[in-house]
Amino acid sequence: MFNDLNPILHSQLRLAVMSLLISVKEAEFTFIREKTNATAGNLSVQIQKLKDAGYIDVLKQFKDNYPQTICKITKQGIDAFSEYVTSLQSYLGK
Amino acid sequence: MHKYKAMSEENKLSGQESLQIITEMIQKVKGTFNENGSSAILWGAVVGFCGLLSFAEIQWKFDVGFPVWGLIMVAAIPQMYIVFRERKKKLVKTYQQEATDNIWLVYGITIMAFVLYQSIVPGVSDKLTEGEGYQLLQKNIATGAVENYHYIIPSGSSVYLIIYAFPTIATGLVCKFKPMIYGAIICYALFLVSLYTPFKYDLLLMGLAGIFNWLIPGFILRNRYLKALPA
Repeated sequence: MFNDLNPILHSQLRLAVMSLLISVKEAEFTFIREKTNATAGNLSVQIQKLKDAGYIDVLKQFKDNYPQTICKITKQGIDAFSEYVTSLQSYLGK
Repeated sequence: MHKYKAMSEENKLSGQESLQIITEMIQKVKGTFNENGSSAILWGAVVGFCGLLSFAEIQWKFDVGFPVWGLIMVAAIPQMYIVFRERKKKLVKTYQQEATDNIWLVYGITIMAFVLYQSIVPGVSDKLTEGEGYQLLQKNIATGAVENYHYIIPSGSSVYLIIYAFPTIATGLVCKFKPMIYGAIICYALFLVSLYTPFKYDLLLMGLAGIFNWLIPGFILRNRYLKALPA
């Protein structure tokens, strides 16, 4: 049914992460985890997949001696998300 | 609470579920309250206090013994500390916050530029006029005494009121935060009044502007922030 939908985005958690990041300039890993209620391990894996696809940038740094991971959607990610929503709309309209 | 899964169930995701996830996440971000109102409360309290106190000094003829508006400069230090600390604490940066941060940065630059303008331009204008071979004089109508006239910036406080209203209305419109929009509208009304009032009352108007523009919206922001905190 959804063969044409981007498989990278057509996943609950990855779609949730992308929907969150499309609405903000950047977000910390802890914020994304809190909003998605995902486990840290699962979220890390999905974020890595989105990063590998070029949809998000991941910046790892230290803040007050604690590691901090900041995620930000890329131009490629915005285009892919937009395309996904358009495809979804056409499916839902059928 | 709904937990987003990733691996095994991803192929079962229906169109409606996808749409629900997108809507839900966007709503969750919209519901994130980051602003606790500290900056607005501090700035509003200082401007309000300085305005009312300097008006009281003239009205009831007393002197607190220090330049009242100098407190603004003193308050700028904790203000910068609060902004820096809050920025560090934030787990997310929205486009809206970026826009309002820039608006307030421009406001800070504009206020400092106007302070410079007010302190430099009259003296320089005196010298330029002298350099052109003119001397401005003023005559006391009652006594007939003639004295040198020195340039002043007329009703500078009216200009401050416009500058005060600008970032507040911009923030209010960007964030759809009505207390700031109303505060700025009141500030514009105070500006209109200040066009006709002497300096003493301009000080009172500036104090009121601080209260309506920032202090009251700041307390409303703080109240919302505290309500949004998890119990």
